[in-house]
Amino acid sequence: MTLLLDGLFSALLLIKSWDPELWFIVWVSLKVSLASTVLAGLLGVPAGFLIALSEFPGKRMTVTVFNTLLAVPTVVIGLLVYTFISRRGLFGPWDLLYTQKAIVIGQVLLILPLVITLTIAAIGRLDHRYRQTALTLGASALQTSWVILREGRFAVGAAVIAAFGRVIAEVGVSMMLGGNIKGFTRTMTTAMALEYDKGEFVLAVALGLILLTISFTMNVFFNLFQGRIRT
Amino acid sequence: MLFELKNLSKTYQGRAVLDVEQLSLEPGKIYGLVGPNGAGKTTLLEILGFLRPPDSGRIFYRDRPVDFSGRSLRRLRQEIVLVQQSPVLFTTTVYKNVEFGLKVRRVPKKSRPRIVEEMLDLVGLRGWASAAAHHLSGGETQRVAMARALACTPQVILLDEPTANVDAEHQAVVEDIIREIKSSKGLSIIFTTHNMVQAARLAEEMVFLYDGRPTAGLYENVFSGVIGFDDGKAHCLIQGRFKLPLVAAKTGPAKVLVNPRLIKIRPQGSGEAAASELAGLVRQLTWEGAQVRVLVDVGLPLTVLIGFEEYQSRPLSVGQKAALDIPAEAVEII
Repeated sequence: MTLLLDGLFSALLLIKSWDPELWFIVWVSLKVSLASTVLAGLLGVPAGFLIALSEFPGKRMTVTVFNTLLAVPTVVIGLLVYTFISRRGLFGPWDLLYTQKAIVIGQVLLILPLVITLTIAAIGRLDHRYRQTALTLGASALQTSWVILREGRFAVGAAVIAAFGRVIAEVGVSMMLGGNIKGFTRTMTTAMALEYDKGEFVLAVALGLILLTISFTMNVFFNLFQGRIRT
Repeated sequence: MLFELKNLSKTYQGRAVLDVEQLSLEPGKIYGLVGPNGAGKTTLLEILGFLRPPDSGRIFYRDRPVDFSGRSLRRLRQEIVLVQQSPVLFTTTVYKNVEFGLKVRRVPKKSRPRIVEEMLDLVGLRGWASAAAHHLSGGETQRVAMARALACTPQVILLDEPTANVDAEHQAVVEDIIREIKSSKGLSIIFTTHNMVQAARLAEEMVFLYDGRPTAGLYENVFSGVIGFDDGKAHCLIQGRFKLPLVAAKTGPAKVLVNPRLIKIRPQGSGEAAASELAGLVRQLTWEGAQVRVLVDVGLPLTVLIGFEEYQSRPLSVGQKAALDIPAEAVEII
């Protein structure tokens, strides 16, 4: 208990002192996670949207496959991407291993099934009358899709936020593909793992606090936004 | 012709919900599509709105065949608007809802506020433009949905049970709006209802649907029974008690429709009803302009329609005993 309280107190002091190393780690984490979330959103939302709205043979199987992919451990994704981008891999010559780009690639693969699955659920749950209404009012296919996306915006937004929450908190991909290089690919979670290994809890606890604050702030903003639109 | 349907059918999960051999609708009229729940009214309306293709058969719009797989569908949809039974409004303001059709038709931004205001005025919701659409009551939602549809300046407006989900006050308003748009805009209006009285009040022409098929008569007097023969004469036995004469070739269970225009009714007075007649009490009388609707309880609720002049010569009153003579030609097997 004393360990935790001491750690917490020192962590607060560290945050307050604007320690440059600490904030650089936070910056790298945010940058990488935001990039992965945006990319996964750009790919996953339209994909989920298309799957939800179209009827094709094997649709249920496709959804099941994406659901299964939700359970893939981060280390498996790390390993998979590693085989492609390591020196001997297919994309070895591109020198991606142990860069922020490598982390982004791994994280996009990690959360893409999540974004797709949650988008399918969000759009699938939406009242089918919206589509019919847009069509009967003379909208084109594209305009109709826009209406549906607009009506499902909170659920789709929630999907993207959930995906961000997943990547900012993951360790496996960042560690295996980023390599936890100080001042370059060290993220909040890899730094916490390292500090724990070293038995240094202060930085780990400080990063943990910041991580929680980021998640909390994101959710507060999302709820405020949702509330403002609805009332 | 506005619409012409030929051998149109639609099946859901193996059940035929629509089976229309031939149906023609003229432009510029108010049509009431009448039938009980599950008669296929909504499906027919969705097909007429080009929102759902039929499984087979052909549909002609203004004498041209409609190709449901074609790109011309959007152009056709821009002439016909469907207002659903319980319409959904987009999660935004009333203004943006009504503006939607104008936006997708690329109506210049400058002229939109005037049109939106005019449409809201037409449905009695002037000054509601900035209200949040999802905070409206059922009746208000229905009226905004009508304003949104009318803003598209359609040639045809399809209304699916326009008053089914609104209270009596809004019902009267919605009916007034329907009459108003017919007289001021000359639109063709096709609405569905399961309420005969409303249909008679509003519609210029009625189409009766039963089990997906247009029927000649009314759907009200529909009964299940068993066809049998007495001395070579066919009858349909309903609820094991009522024998209705009919023309039939086979025995067995059947659904029959008793045409309310062909039932003869007379006040029974003190005398007994003849053997061939059914006796009952007059439960309800409704004046529908040229005709009077009489609901008689003979153990079965039977609707009888008589001409107003005929009614005046032999008036009935509620609670009075009446004798019904049902000729064989009034009973039709469905």
